[in-house]
Amino acid sequence: MKLRRHWFSGLISLVVIVCLWAPLVIVAVNSVNKDTLLVSWKGFTTHWYNQAYHNPDVRGGVKETMTIALASTAISLVLAVSGSLWWRRAGHRSQRMFDGLTYLRIMLPEVVFAVALFLLFSKIRFPLGTTAVVIGHVVWNSAYATLIIQARVATLDPALEDAAADLGANAWRVFRRVTFPGLLPGIVAAGLLAFTFSFDDVVTSYFLVGSGTAPLPVVILSMIRFRITPEINAIGMMVMLFTVTMFTVGFLAVTRLGRGARRALALPEGRD
Amino acid sequence: MMRYAGQALRSLLALPTLAWMLLFFLIPLGLVVVYSFATISLVTYNISFGWTLSNYRQIHDPLYFNTLTRSIFLSISATLGCLLLGFPLAYFISRQPSRWQKLLLVLVIVPFWTSFIVRTYAIVNLIDNGGPLQHFLHALHVLSGPLNILYTPKGIALGIVYSYLPLMVLPIYVSLERIDYNLVDAANDLGANPRRTFRRVTLPLAMPGVVVGCIIVGIPALGEYVIPEILGGGKTLMLGNVITDQFLSVGDYPFGSAIAVALMVVMALALIVFRLAQRRAAPS
Repeated sequence: MKLRRHWFSGLISLVVIVCLWAPLVIVAVNSVNKDTLLVSWKGFTTHWYNQAYHNPDVRGGVKETMTIALASTAISLVLAVSGSLWWRRAGHRSQRMFDGLTYLRIMLPEVVFAVALFLLFSKIRFPLGTTAVVIGHVVWNSAYATLIIQARVATLDPALEDAAADLGANAWRVFRRVTFPGLLPGIVAAGLLAFTFSFDDVVTSYFLVGSGTAPLPVVILSMIRFRITPEINAIGMMVMLFTVTMFTVGFLAVTRLGRGARRALALPEGRD
Repeated sequence: MMRYAGQALRSLLALPTLAWMLLFFLIPLGLVVVYSFATISLVTYNISFGWTLSNYRQIHDPLYFNTLTRSIFLSISATLGCLLLGFPLAYFISRQPSRWQKLLLVLVIVPFWTSFIVRTYAIVNLIDNGGPLQHFLHALHVLSGPLNILYTPKGIALGIVYSYLPLMVLPIYVSLERIDYNLVDAANDLGANPRRTFRRVTLPLAMPGVVVGCIIVGIPALGEYVIPEILGGGKTLMLGNVITDQFLSVGDYPFGSAIAVALMVVMALALIVFRLAQRRAAPS
């Protein structure tokens, strides 16, 4: 009955969802396809995984990407947490300026950030490489992290912190024992998001890596440019499995942490 | 005394973000504007700063101007494509029982989590001549010859729709999900046919989500680099590619900066249009 009433939107939804998954299925199938030209199914092989695993560019790229993603996530979280805590008690106009700066970083096309930092670094002769890429990622990644942590900050009850302070806890202790546990689900969610964005980034890394070791997405881009090789499908599959696993684990952690934090602060159970 | 110290300490919390943004965001952006008015000698690569408009005049060169109009056109058509597919999808999801809603949302979002570049590369296989899409269209007798959309603007638009669709679905879903369906029932009871109810009740209430979706799809799509690079076959097809070329291959920083400024101006204009739409879309 319900389905019949929405048959039109239902049909479009079905087609769209199938289409969204189709490229991923093709990647999965071709990653174990013996056919080097990828036009038909020629039998199962793990050769491409083996080749990708032993490719030095890929190995270097993974290490580089991990380093960049971890560093930029950590810095972004520090900026986002401190910024959001300031924002909570800031005046109305300062809040609006802070928010404007955050949205600007989300809206602006990445090419513009990348170019701007590229000019700055070449002007002050700051060497391109891992550090430069991390600085660039933090500029936009901290904006996403800030949005998530601000949303969490808004749910914190200032009375709890005031109570802790009245009971004699110093500022650091209040932060560690009350504010931080309350923010933790937001911090985990923001960290996961920042990590994946950084892990996935092409444009900023491409501009700022210079002649250093290229991060994985840049390695993949140059592989695609030069030749279509089934090895890319195997790399892609491994990257996809990694991100999806990380997200699932993270999602479960956030849900459990949310419940844990509420219990720790003796707040009522409820929906997030 | 303690309180003032506390307030000063609290202001310090803003310092990391503000310092980072000033040093690595605002100053560099200012530098782009300054460079866009400078000139470069393409023999010695010496840059002389000044206030010349020659870089902006160069944008009028048909080669670059066509890229500018193509970027705008591709961004608009991809946004419309996302809207045409995303609205029915969001509508369908919002009308399911809540358990199904969650599952359907996961099905829409999970492909979005996977590597952006690998996904774009996978579309190459999908839409290539002799690929699955061509087979499918042949089977439906919609098409008889080769598909010929890979490495064309159509392929790029398709790629943008693919990659940005969830960004359109989510805000529309959120605004549809909030609708009080008693209003819809009331309209039906008062004798409006389903089409009229949809047009006069559901659609206006969903408009805020539609506008947000169009902003977060249309604006970033203007400066897209990776999708035209892969699905456009390396030809300079959108502004992002021209900017990158000017910086990383040609080395003409002032001209590249001028295009970047032009991109920001187009973006600002688009945002103003959307803001006006947003004000009109606000449910009264």
